Amino acid sequence: MSISILLVPLALAGAAAVQAAAGRKADGQLVCQVQTRMRDVTLLEDALRDTGATVTATGETLSAAWAAGAATFTRGADGIWAAHVTGVDQAGAVELMTRVDAAYGRRVQQAVLERLRAQAPAAGLRLESESVDQDASVRLVFEVESERA
Amino acid sequence: MTERPRIIVTVGPDGQVRAETVDLLGEKCLDYIAVLEDLVGGQVRQSEFTDDYHRQAQTTRERNIDRDVDPA
Repeated sequence: MSISILLVPLALAGAAAVQAAAGRKADGQLVCQVQTRMRDVTLLEDALRDTGATVTATGETLSAAWAAGAATFTRGADGIWAAHVTGVDQAGAVELMTRVDAAYGRRVQQAVLERLRAQAPAAGLRLESESVDQDASVRLVFEVESERA
Repeated sequence: MTERPRIIVTVGPDGQVRAETVDLLGEKCLDYIAVLEDLVGGQVRQSEFTDDYHRQAQTTRERNIDRDVDPA
């Protein structure tokens, strides 16, 4: 082995972490604001549907409704989506967004795998084997067909 | 016949990607950092050299020492 690296796809703002802050609207309704690590709107919509949400997109806002709880997603200046969760308490909001984050991670995994399989041959890499580990990680072994000059 | 070098890429269910080069000795492995960033569509967060890099560096250093010795 010669080098070992950790890569973070651009669709992710960092490692999985869900941070929430709760407040009340003027009508007394509890609203939890949850900061996410999600950047890609298409993957976010897919992830929300994976968790059983009904999703509505309006302009720059995404709305998701579950049997218990709802969330409105808005994108910050840094391109990262934040959620405003209603219908559940703060712990429920964190639990809901943790499920969404896990679904989003799986969507990013699928997108990265598709990209690797499609583009590796053009980079001189031949897919030799592919396997799934117990933790659902997918391991691809590429043979370097011609070393870069 | 000598085996070709390999790159092992592991894509986690959280979306993070780990990659290791195998039998790419010395600084050749560095060329593949940009290739992997492009393939994954991401950026390197951490990197570390492993045995083959140091093995090649050690071999190069030993050759230089041999050259520096005055045979007289």
